[in-house]
Amino acid sequence: MVKRTAPRRSARSAPKAHEHGRRRCLRILRALSAFIDDELSDDVCMEVRRHLGDCPNCEDFVASLRQTVSLCRHQPTPTLSSADRARMRETILQTAGGR
Amino acid sequence: MSPLSTPHKPNDRSLLPARTSKSFDSLYRDHVDLMYRFANRLCGETEAAKDLVQETFLNAYRGFKKFRGDAQVSTWLYTIASRACLRMRRRRKGEPDRELSLDEFIPTSDGEFRLQIPVDGLSPEEALQNKELRQALDDAINKLPKKYRMVLVLRDMEGLSAKEVGTVMGLNERAVKSRLHRARLFVRRELSARGMTETAGAQDRLSLE
Repeated sequence: MVKRTAPRRSARSAPKAHEHGRRRCLRILRALSAFIDDELSDDVCMEVRRHLGDCPNCEDFVASLRQTVSLCRHQPTPTLSSADRARMRETILQTAGGR
Repeated sequence: MSPLSTPHKPNDRSLLPARTSKSFDSLYRDHVDLMYRFANRLCGETEAAKDLVQETFLNAYRGFKKFRGDAQVSTWLYTIASRACLRMRRRRKGEPDRELSLDEFIPTSDGEFRLQIPVDGLSPEEALQNKELRQALDDAINKLPKKYRMVLVLRDMEGLSAKEVGTVMGLNERAVKSRLHRARLFVRRELSARGMTETAGAQDRLSLE
């Protein structure tokens, strides 16, 4: 009798690849920005970490989302020339004073 | 005394005291570069950005007396600029403004999950030396519907907190975070799709050789 129950239990606990299914991935994907920004409570953060360790798809996804945020933070922008700065100031003051 | 028979309007801006003009000068000097950077990120082109900066400071000049100093000056200016931007863009045609649904960003295959941005292990500063990547990022941000673009620009590019973005846009923090997440997912998809296209293109070329 003991022999009959043991194999069943081990068959149930052996996970197939990606057996946790897409539903958990979706739950994790919804929380990834908050995860990146360190805004999750400790227990939810642990849940996300555990899932990422277990799911290469989501781990890759969060890596690319982090890169996206990082690129946005570092994207350079043009600067204003001192001539433009002075010309725009004149225009603003003339428009403000002329009405 | 003035010989004019018509009475002066009390809000006649030509009668603003010199003190206001002096305060305006220091406001302009200290914040014009910040506003130009913000305007460039919002508008995606330099001429429109200059128009927006002028509109912003003109409105700031006119609203100077109403500014009670409750918020930081920069937050006040961001708010004026954001409102001006919404008005300017409404006048333009062809600006798509739609809701982004989370569902549209949910990968449907392992390949989509694992799409990466083509940065080849470089730091963001190094990767952004690539002109094509800079352009692709600008394009992706410009393709965002404006209410998502504003949140992304304020939070991830200007570095405001979610609470400050909420103050600027008149939203609660939850709404800011929800829009921010969708905006990031959108940009990620645009950038990684570009990587995929490039890789596919390279493979096509290889297979032809």
